[in-house]
Amino acid sequence: MAQHSVETGDEAENAATAKAGVLTPRLPQDIGIRSQRQRILEAMAKSCAEKTFSRTTIADIVEHAGISRGTFYKHFANKEECVFAAADAFLLELQGVGAIAYARSGDLPLNSVRDVIAAVLERLATKPEHTKLLLIEAPIVDPEVVRRYRSFVIGALKSMLQAGSNVARAKADPEIAFGRAKVLIVDYVAAGQSEDLPSLLPELVYIALLPYAGQAAALAQAKNAR
Amino acid sequence: MSDSKDPEAAKLAPVGDPPSNLHLWKLPRGRHGLPRELVLQSQRERLLAAVVRVTAKKGYQASSVADILKEAGVGRETFYKHFKDKEDCFITANDALVADLEAEVKEAYDQAGSWPQRVRRGLASTLEWFAANPEIARVMMIEMGTVGPIASSRFRETFRRFTALLDDGSKSIEEVPDLPNIANIAGGAVFARVYEEVALGNTTSLPHLMPQLTFELLLPYIGEEAAARERDAAQAEEPQP
Repeated sequence: MAQHSVETGDEAENAATAKAGVLTPRLPQDIGIRSQRQRILEAMAKSCAEKTFSRTTIADIVEHAGISRGTFYKHFANKEECVFAAADAFLLELQGVGAIAYARSGDLPLNSVRDVIAAVLERLATKPEHTKLLLIEAPIVDPEVVRRYRSFVIGALKSMLQAGSNVARAKADPEIAFGRAKVLIVDYVAAGQSEDLPSLLPELVYIALLPYAGQAAALAQAKNAR
Repeated sequence: MSDSKDPEAAKLAPVGDPPSNLHLWKLPRGRHGLPRELVLQSQRERLLAAVVRVTAKKGYQASSVADILKEAGVGRETFYKHFKDKEDCFITANDALVADLEAEVKEAYDQAGSWPQRVRRGLASTLEWFAANPEIARVMMIEMGTVGPIASSRFRETFRRFTALLDDGSKSIEEVPDLPNIANIAGGAVFARVYEEVALGNTTSLPHLMPQLTFELLLPYIGEEAAARERDAAQAEEPQP
């Protein structure tokens, strides 16, 4: 399973490489396998964007990735396994992006939330094919994908906002907040407007803060985010 | 949000007239107790009813035109007289179902009362409509998402038509918060929750979500305190078991 730990986003990968590289230099063959798998995942995202997952064939992936059919099956049993791996990889990348934005943001929890959302939206916008794969294609194959990132998103928000002692406990439900955000974002992605996602920052700041900071504070922060 | 980048929206086929009384071809068949032949008169209606039944049974991707023909008891030629292909037939059936839901919701929403009261009635009729038709709910919410870009764009249009109702009505409240996309943020709470319950197979218990969804739907417009009052009113109206 060692080669499965790679897709943690550029930053996280670089950090991991820097740490690991000192003591355990990678073998060239290992690097080859890693990049093969990476190429397959990229090819899956590309093909899903072009013709949807249900119309994507192994032949399409093999062609986009420039590998042999045998190489594909060395990494994945079927195209479903491959699309889930691609969704997981992108989710990990987004987690990395969010964690870095959080680390760089100041001490005010409300500002941190804004910075993290902004960073994640930027990444979604710059990788529209992966965004479509994660938010639309993979959930059609298995709705479990959504549950996985929901628990991550809600957990992250909770830990960011409960870190600050000044936040009130309002009664809006965080799971409903996640649903609102998903509807708003998927609407853009499904319309092929992923590149415009960063414009949703004020709305998403509002949605994220509503269950924790309450209506008045959430509206004020949304206004600031414009 | 502009639709200009949504080329599929322009390509949609014109919507046919929905069958005169949709309830008569809702699932499960035979519940109305009338001979099927009396009720399902036209071939077109038979095909629309059939595509919904077949999709509910097998899923959209797995069902074929042959399945629809068999279910409707009509010939292939007849099918292609009415519809371009399976997708066209399915989307037309979905449009008819949406029209039925929309008419019912509007009727509830348009009755006199304060705006939050009207929202409550509209929401209740939405949840009850889905709860009364769990298989149809599954076809409209879940299967519709697996069809393709035309269906997905139609789906988004439908959602926007429903949230536009909120935009219209909310003009009557004192001060609508200055928040972009407020109707989608409000309506998204209901849509996401209904979608999830339908996916989990809990469609028949949707009406029990009235208090919570009333609160979440109105919250962006009127704030916690006023939304909580509406939630309590919805709670009080809930039928006792």
